Amino acid sequence: MPWASSQTLDRIKHAFRKITIDTQPNFVCLNVEDTQEITNILKHLKDIEDFRYFIDFHVIDFPKEKDRFLGQYILVNPYTFERLAVKVWFKSNKLPTAKEIFPGAKWAEREAYDMFGVEFEGHEDVKRMFMWEDYKYFPLRKDFPLGGIPEQKLPSLTEVLEGNTFPPSHDYDIMHTYVPNMKDIEKTEKSRITKKGQLVLNWGPLHPGTHGTMWFLFDLEGEHIIQTDVILGQLHRGMEKIAENLHYFQFLPYTDRMDYLSAVCNELSYVQAVEKLANIEVPLKARYIRTMFAELQRINSHLLWLGTGALDLGALTVFLYAFREREKIMDIIEGNAGFRLTSAFLRIGGVHYDLAKGTLEVAKYFVKDFYSKLKEYHGLLTRNRIWLKRTKDVGVITQEDVYQYGLTGPVARGSGVAYDIRKIDPYAAYDLVDFDIPVGDIGDVYDRYLVRMEEMYQSARIVEQCIEALEKMPENEPYVNKKHPAVIPPKEYVFNDLEDMVKSFRIVVHGENIPKGEVYSSGENPRGELGFYIYSIGKSSPYRLRIRSCSFYNLSVFPKVIYKHTISDAVALLGSIDPVVGETDR
Amino acid sequence: MASSINGNGFITTTVDELLSWGRRNALWPVTIGLACCAIEMMHAAASRFDIDRLGMIFRASPRQADVLIVAGTVVNKVAPMLKLIWDQMPEPKWCISMGGCASAGGPFPTYSTLQGVDRIIPVDVYIPGCPPTPQGLIYGLLELQRKIREKKVTRYEKAFEEFKKDLSPELLSGIGV
Repeated sequence: MPWASSQTLDRIKHAFRKITIDTQPNFVCLNVEDTQEITNILKHLKDIEDFRYFIDFHVIDFPKEKDRFLGQYILVNPYTFERLAVKVWFKSNKLPTAKEIFPGAKWAEREAYDMFGVEFEGHEDVKRMFMWEDYKYFPLRKDFPLGGIPEQKLPSLTEVLEGNTFPPSHDYDIMHTYVPNMKDIEKTEKSRITKKGQLVLNWGPLHPGTHGTMWFLFDLEGEHIIQTDVILGQLHRGMEKIAENLHYFQFLPYTDRMDYLSAVCNELSYVQAVEKLANIEVPLKARYIRTMFAELQRINSHLLWLGTGALDLGALTVFLYAFREREKIMDIIEGNAGFRLTSAFLRIGGVHYDLAKGTLEVAKYFVKDFYSKLKEYHGLLTRNRIWLKRTKDVGVITQEDVYQYGLTGPVARGSGVAYDIRKIDPYAAYDLVDFDIPVGDIGDVYDRYLVRMEEMYQSARIVEQCIEALEKMPENEPYVNKKHPAVIPPKEYVFNDLEDMVKSFRIVVHGENIPKGEVYSSGENPRGELGFYIYSIGKSSPYRLRIRSCSFYNLSVFPKVIYKHTISDAVALLGSIDPVVGETDR
Repeated sequence: MASSINGNGFITTTVDELLSWGRRNALWPVTIGLACCAIEMMHAAASRFDIDRLGMIFRASPRQADVLIVAGTVVNKVAPMLKLIWDQMPEPKWCISMGGCASAGGPFPTYSTLQGVDRIIPVDVYIPGCPPTPQGLIYGLLELQRKIREKKVTRYEKAFEEFKKDLSPELLSGIGV
């Protein structure tokens, strides 16, 4: 995606004298000096300059600076597809809220409060987003240790039951961070909504219909929902904190475990961001392999959505049919990466292995077969009367919602917003293949269903084209750019070449320093735009790594859309938003 | 069954063994997925691996289930809720810790992650992997069957009494004992 052009920047500069503009190769930002002015600037950007697509808000901690915290908005102009970051310092830990201008900022501000302890003037319910109420610390601050602060003695019950054996059953630290009790959890629940209707219904956190561990609170008047809040954090593992403590290449397998249904796509977004930062070129073959696997993974992920989404609405058959195809894709991925689900197949600078023998034939057969299977799914659902009744005109998301809440992916496209990073800012080999972006009309559950079904078809088309291109390539074409100093050479070279061995040893042990700078780079995941913002200070690990999670923002529209609808619609709507908890909570 | 069939078609066995035979051949896990491992758990139940054929049917209510498969990372916030579900399950019950995270925190030695589900729930079978393959899960379930066959049903109350002696009252309320 192009960053804001110089004309746009000039216009903004003209309107507000007190801002400075910082232009980097992969990053353009406005530095706002006067904190109180930020509301006006955001309003101006939204209304006059048309930067109305809210993408992200996050905070960076600089303990040594005078105003410790730096807030950053990322906005997009949905007509010209320009992207712009706006930086502003917190004044004595306070910033005026942006939730009136961009409702999507509400959750982002909650998260910022939870992780950094910063406050927002005018935001009446700043609550803990991921941790529970009464949690004492702010984990993403630089002075907080990764492992937390051990507070309570929590022995392993296996050891208690079996007795202290010699040698010990396992080696572990008996001191543990504070584990909340039911009272803490109840307090968290009570703080979220004040009951207005007749009954507050809990849905989740351990309910099969919530696609993981989400916790919904529904305030009900009869069967109609008049108030909703979502409690997240039941899978908050501290990914952003982990990233700050690891070398760049070490964080790659963690990205697999975020949105665990689309591991390759996550990796692709991440390696892309690092490659832009370190200026690494990727060989053509690797680009094609990446595209092919990302698209296979997209089909894989959409199949799971199809299976579970239909299962939630009572159609068990689709679940079994969809998993049949999933197994085939997983076999292709396993054959190449050696792992079924969390594959860790890509590497910074290329891919880990060359294509395994026979991959192309298998993939070719799969795609050929998949078209007919897709027809089968259509036959099961598209004209099914029950399916139509449950999905048509249910959970309508308008275009304005899409912009204001920062919805991306099939949820945005279902509402008619043709926002697809693969087209706007082509990465990997997406500029070399031909595909279409399906868009919906009204933005109900059925439209999102059709969009995802069509996306599977388009993905299959892309895979076909990648296979064609890969077949034409000579066999010994490089699949990783091993000349670059930050790229770990593949194992076949490490075992045969002294120089490569030394290089591999050096990077694995010490890491490779990445040049100073900032980058925000995103990829089109099956669920939307997964962005990585990296702030590098020239070390081998990032100073701050922010994950712009698509599921998180997509879910933030849920309370608004479900208002005055029934619980049965909530199931259909959640299925169509298709969040993955590993990514909402990170 | 370790028993003999005599000529008249009678089986002689002990009641304990008969119960254990019944228990191990109808292990009903609770439908709970926490993270990535849950996807592989779903795969174990779906078309290709189909653990129904081993008599394992997922039950949505903990009251009807006797195996808790802890599939995924247990974070501190979800720990008391998971513990509640374990407490709601009727005896005899077993717990399988699926994957690295549930077994020992896995790759997440962080402020928010519970370092091993065995800190709140006694675990019978640990399955390594990140995530384990469906085959791995099925192997774990078969190992559990073997454990039930070889050992008598473990009663956890007794062990808990001893465990409680060492702990302070605040802590006990913390883990919901």
